[in-house]
Amino acid sequence: MNLDLTIKKTWLYKINPSLKLLVMVLLFIGVLFVHQLNMIVYGTLSALLLLILFSGHPPKRLALLSIPFIIVFVSTASSMILFGKGDTTWFKWGLIHITEESFYRGIHLGFRALVFATLGLTFSLTTRPVYLFYSLMQQVKLNPKYAYSFMAGFRLIPIMIEEFQTIRNAMVVRGVQQQKGIRSFYFKLKSYSIPLLSQSIRRAHRIAVAMEAKRFSEVKKRTFYYKIGFSGYDVVFIVSWVFLIGAAYYLSLNVPILPTGDVRYE
Amino acid sequence: MSRGLKLTDVLVTIVISIVFGIVYKLWGPLYYLVKPFGIQLDQLIYGMWFIAAIVAFLIIRKPGVALLAEIAASSGEFLLGSEFGLEVLLYGVVQGLFAEIVFMAARYKRFDVAIVSFAALSSGVGSLIFDYYKGYIGDLAVWNLSLMVGFRLIGSILIAGVGGYYLVKALEATGVTNLVRPTTKQDYDALDQ
Repeated sequence: MNLDLTIKKTWLYKINPSLKLLVMVLLFIGVLFVHQLNMIVYGTLSALLLLILFSGHPPKRLALLSIPFIIVFVSTASSMILFGKGDTTWFKWGLIHITEESFYRGIHLGFRALVFATLGLTFSLTTRPVYLFYSLMQQVKLNPKYAYSFMAGFRLIPIMIEEFQTIRNAMVVRGVQQQKGIRSFYFKLKSYSIPLLSQSIRRAHRIAVAMEAKRFSEVKKRTFYYKIGFSGYDVVFIVSWVFLIGAAYYLSLNVPILPTGDVRYE
Repeated sequence: MSRGLKLTDVLVTIVISIVFGIVYKLWGPLYYLVKPFGIQLDQLIYGMWFIAAIVAFLIIRKPGVALLAEIAASSGEFLLGSEFGLEVLLYGVVQGLFAEIVFMAARYKRFDVAIVSFAALSSGVGSLIFDYYKGYIGDLAVWNLSLMVGFRLIGSILIAGVGGYYLVKALEATGVTNLVRPTTKQDYDALDQ
């Protein structure tokens, strides 16, 4: 979404979007099988390295975008640290029971959330949604019906936001009284969601009718405005991940940062 | 009368879902602000993340809509730059699939509040299964885990199930749903009179 602000298009932008998505999903599933704390710490550092060096965005903006990561890290880790199972007690107060095992497990979960967030941010910063859907149609053979619906849907977001502001202004102009507490929440929910949703449905319906009137069809052979293929950058991308994962594995075995192995409770 | 999804169905489903995708994105910070209190109160509002499947299904009433809606909403959330990153996509697939299974078991013929609550509950179970692998929730203290499961399931029934049902009821009053729903037997009967 922030692509209009892009300053430098690095090689990450030139990777085939379908391949990039596939690699990211495989990495995600792979991370679910990593139970060694040091491995995930190094893995997160690799992902951060890729983001900082090659996203093409200035460090200041990246820092700004990373603020929620810290909140996510803390709040993901906190539940497990405070209430997780474990034997070596560090601190006990009422229901709170911090143990060595639960602490490291919490940190592990925090890093997991961090690596998912970093990979996700890297993907969404370096991929244009339009190219992604064109690539999915050409390489994954996604039905154009879905791809074009997605692209049309994303184009409607600014209109939705404008409509939201219109409704708010209309309520101010007509002097709608602010209620308090849960009733105001319910009132607000209803007075915004119903017009927004009903207008979106009407608009989507009109677009679909217009597309079919202009002969949008599901013929097997169709031409594409953007032709997206593969290039050497795809190989570089895969090789660099193989290298980063290998390095993370080697470092976690030989230069462990934290004194713990498997974080699961037996 | 074909049962498959036509372009109109797909487009309406995806556009509704993108509206919810924006809601999902805004729901993230809210969830994380409630979360550090520790007693799993955040789980009560988790159910919001299942609502797209329910609402889209109640509006379009065709097979496959619930799954498509949840995938579309989560990819909308993902492409808007969710702080959860990639996991929203896969959670979306799982949650949509679990809701879809319930509607399928009812042969896509029931649209009452009971069946949608059950679908929301099913989505909740799906997300918990995923959490078991991703969040080691089996390693939480038992009382804490029970609170988490209880709150999440209650929240999903109340927000996604009951909330989604009444949201669509209110939408029906505007008449907009008639645009996109498949014609029923009653519609044909009305023409004969």
